[in-house]
Amino acid sequence: MTGAATAPIRLWDLPVRLVHWSFAALIPALWWSAENGKLDLHETLGLVMLALVVFRLLWGLFGSSTARFSGFVRGPSAIRGYLGKARSGLAAPVVGHNPLGALSVLALLGLLALQVSLGLFAQDTDAVESGPLNHLVGYDLASTLSEAHEFVFNLILAMVALHLAAILYYRLVKKDDLVRPMITGRRAFPTAVEAPRIAPLWRAALLAVLSGLFALWLSWGAPPWGARFPWDQPAAAAQMDSSTYM
Amino acid sequence: MVGKPPNCLTETPLFKLAKAAALAAIVLPATAVIATAAGPNPAFKLRHDNFEAMGRAMKGIGDELKKPTANVAVIQKNAATLAAAAPKVKGYFPKGTGPEAGVKTEALPAIWQRPADFNAAADRLVGATRNLQVAAATGDLAKIQPAVGAVGQSCKGCHDNFRKPRG
Repeated sequence: MTGAATAPIRLWDLPVRLVHWSFAALIPALWWSAENGKLDLHETLGLVMLALVVFRLLWGLFGSSTARFSGFVRGPSAIRGYLGKARSGLAAPVVGHNPLGALSVLALLGLLALQVSLGLFAQDTDAVESGPLNHLVGYDLASTLSEAHEFVFNLILAMVALHLAAILYYRLVKKDDLVRPMITGRRAFPTAVEAPRIAPLWRAALLAVLSGLFALWLSWGAPPWGARFPWDQPAAAAQMDSSTYM
Repeated sequence: MVGKPPNCLTETPLFKLAKAAALAAIVLPATAVIATAAGPNPAFKLRHDNFEAMGRAMKGIGDELKKPTANVAVIQKNAATLAAAAPKVKGYFPKGTGPEAGVKTEALPAIWQRPADFNAAADRLVGATRNLQVAAATGDLAKIQPAVGAVGQSCKGCHDNFRKPRG
């Protein structure tokens, strides 16, 4: 950053940062576990990912001002306007996601949401290792969704590459370090700006618990409609699990 | 690998076959042309389709057991499919249909190196699927559950030793 900076403000709240870095850690771990046939681990990590995505979507509605979709998602004309100003160097510093970066946030979150949804129904070659909702769809549909699950990962990789390229562009060309604020949560601005409204952590904790319970419920096969509750199984059922006949 | 389509054994793509056939027509005697054009041993496709049918049947049974209320008729139908498919497994691995054939396959050379073990594993599957069919006929989930588990274990026992690990 160039020019005289004002005192750092809180830009990204703790939940946004935790979710962000969890995504960064989970995406390679999910890829690795799938490639190496560790599908029990893959499913567990996938459900953690699902809970995080659901939480982030909720946080986009009820979170801090820089986390809310209504705070940064803009229409095409606003994006064009921002790009025009940015090119001529007239754009005022944006506290949070700029109108173009908002598209990247939506694309990444959207792809992750799509990917975890597909994973719920996916199955491996023999249909013996499968996602928690796989039993609700037939073999052929599950095969198609599994292929889509593999394909969407490539789209995620492309978006991650674009994301990293943009960070490098900011670092090298615009001399702007985006990584540090995503770690510390704070950054200084060249001019005085309005500080974001940071949502209380208890609200994040509440939404995190709800998201976790939702993922847990899905992991059970969506009872009572899709499956029985775990405490409502016939006695012999406890001996069966997905790894029995892998 | 998650979500791989059920193609553990894929036939050589047609264009490759055509290319090989054309090449053979130039440099090899006519007999070689006929041999190449005949394509891979039918056992590759037969056993693939048989395993896929068993995979579908296992999913069909597993799905019912996970649902709030199991449809026993569906379990019985799939148990019959399994019991019919299992005895075919042994015959679908003639000599020369391993990885050396140049056809994409997950069959390990161990199948032909330890035929007694392989046959015993295949027989175990046959016995397990028969038992499952008997259990399914009773309609008693408490009997069906462990019988399905035993079929699963026999699948796993063979996969562990005779199928290429995934990844």
